[in-house]
Amino acid sequence: MQTWIQILISSVSLFFLLFISIRLMGKRNIVRMTPFRFVSYIIIAVITALMSLNLIANLAFGLIALGVWVLFPIALDYLSLKSKWIHDIVNGKETVLIKHGKIMEENLLQTRLTAEELLRELRTKNAFSLADVEFAVMEDTGDINVFMKSHKNPVSSYNLGIKVAPLAEPQTVILDGNMLDESLFSLGFNREWLNIQLETMGVSIDNVFIGQVDSSGDLYLDLFDDSVQLPQPKVKEMLYANFESSQANLMSFALETNNKEAKKMYSEHAEALGQLMEKLKPYLLR
Amino acid sequence: MTVASQVKKTIATLKGNQGTLRLYALQTRDEETKLVYNEALKTTGRIINDLEGRMQILEYSEPQYKGN
Repeated sequence: MQTWIQILISSVSLFFLLFISIRLMGKRNIVRMTPFRFVSYIIIAVITALMSLNLIANLAFGLIALGVWVLFPIALDYLSLKSKWIHDIVNGKETVLIKHGKIMEENLLQTRLTAEELLRELRTKNAFSLADVEFAVMEDTGDINVFMKSHKNPVSSYNLGIKVAPLAEPQTVILDGNMLDESLFSLGFNREWLNIQLETMGVSIDNVFIGQVDSSGDLYLDLFDDSVQLPQPKVKEMLYANFESSQANLMSFALETNNKEAKKMYSEHAEALGQLMEKLKPYLLR
Repeated sequence: MTVASQVKKTIATLKGNQGTLRLYALQTRDEETKLVYNEALKTTGRIINDLEGRMQILEYSEPQYKGN
């Protein structure tokens, strides 16, 4: 057999073999990897490259080495899933670098991190001033995560004591002019509903690049033709405004009428409507 | 505009609101939101009811504007 055919066959078969084995080794992000895992990936790559070019005379030897380097990481992963002790040995433990706003110098030395590097890492987490950092930890992947002092944390609606409506993730129902049945059904809608929505907006499905439905059932569209101005969903704001005007009307009726009973009825309802609006506000406006 | 027709207009607005609320109550996937919308529907229904009762009295006392 000619050499080039040999190399072609072994390369193609190794291509698929490697593809499957890397898949088996898990989906972890290649950037956030422990150093050991990184090394094992490199070794697998090198062995495969050598085998693919027939630089390893005996194919069986190559396969044995490859098998060890593929199977051992998988085995270690399973074991570390089962036992915390093995997990700590394999992946290492996280190291606390800053505690109560104070840098732990011994731990810094242990992670071989210089002060400059620590400051650089903190800056990437938007902590330019050391005084803002309450706690920082180096994960087993070498990433540094920072917990800011509580007064430096961004304000949330919880901090402000404002109630906001629960929002689930939006579902993409149209991609490139095609309806996605699966996400439509998961929302409890069907194609007819989407067709009606598109019709009321005056858009044909071919013109839609992306369409998303949020958890309250409003449809947002991005069109191929950007010159078309679309009415974006403002129904909830309208609804709230309508309630406001109705409440104002009720109040003016209460002022205008001379009938005592009617006056009482109007003002009671105006108040009830006001309470209702207060309750609806998070859902309609926020 | 007479009082009767203003009341009528308010009733119409509230009924429109009811329709929108009902739609959202059906569309939403969140149970809590659904509950709030349904409560709003009930309150709005009560107000509409009373306003319609008042409407009848108004139309009776100023029959010349009936239907406006």
